[in-house]
Amino acid sequence: MADFLLTRPPPEVIGLLLGLTVLGVLATLNQQLGALGGYSAVYERVTGRTSVLGWKAWFLGGILLGSLVFRLLAGANTVGDGYGWLTREFADWAVGPLLVLGGAMIGYGAKRAGGCTAANGICGTALGSPASFVATGTFLGVAIGVTLVIDAVIA
Amino acid sequence: MTRAVAVGFGAVFGFAISWGQFTSPDRLREMLLLQDPYLYVMMATAVTIGFVGARLLRRRRVRALLTGAPVAWATTRPERRHVVGATIFGVGWAITDSCPAPIAGQLAQGVAWSLFTIAGVMLGIALFFRRARVTTHAR
Repeated sequence: MADFLLTRPPPEVIGLLLGLTVLGVLATLNQQLGALGGYSAVYERVTGRTSVLGWKAWFLGGILLGSLVFRLLAGANTVGDGYGWLTREFADWAVGPLLVLGGAMIGYGAKRAGGCTAANGICGTALGSPASFVATGTFLGVAIGVTLVIDAVIA
Repeated sequence: MTRAVAVGFGAVFGFAISWGQFTSPDRLREMLLLQDPYLYVMMATAVTIGFVGARLLRRRRVRALLTGAPVAWATTRPERRHVVGATIFGVGWAITDSCPAPIAGQLAQGVAWSLFTIAGVMLGIALFFRRARVTTHAR
């Protein structure tokens, strides 16, 4: 079981599961899924902006649960040692602030863009929203460009 | 019931991104460096399944199981905020080699570094609401 789970299946298998999740949420809740909305729902509830915890917070809780189940079944994490290029290039004391900075850009940017990779990149585009196509093309293009620049600099 | 359904679909989503190793910053980086097409094939498959399935649900006038309302969705026209927000989001993605769902997956898999990224995401959301409030008051 562990070897099976620690080997990536064909991308079409993961794509099928994620596509069916989009359809499942639509067919049961009549809603569009998104992960950032879960963080936002928690923030809004904690700060008293809303009186109930929005359903996306529960969806985010499900992501945590599914990943935990995967971790237990696989017997190892799929992240590896350290944290990618950041822990290879920087001392540990610098990595935390860089992750906070990057995380803040993810949180602010996705709120302003109306969604993250899941909400805009998968769900919004599947539902044919022009704004999601623009947002997805923009964040993919920027992420690829910035990553190529970082790679050239650290090389 | 809504909560249980949301947790259930979230669990499938979390399991899938962990299995596809989207929780790994190195895997994401390989994709952003255009060295590995996995992410793009996965996204294209998910979007195709969603695109076809959603239109079948609407054409057959299926009613949502829990709400009873006909399955429907609204689309949004692109505005400046979509480009500006996505640009900022893209830079954050390139720095962290992650995005909101995989960050949660990293936390569940016991990766302590994700706590910093989550703190940042919450800070970004707080900044968004603070800026929205200031803008509203200025009008």
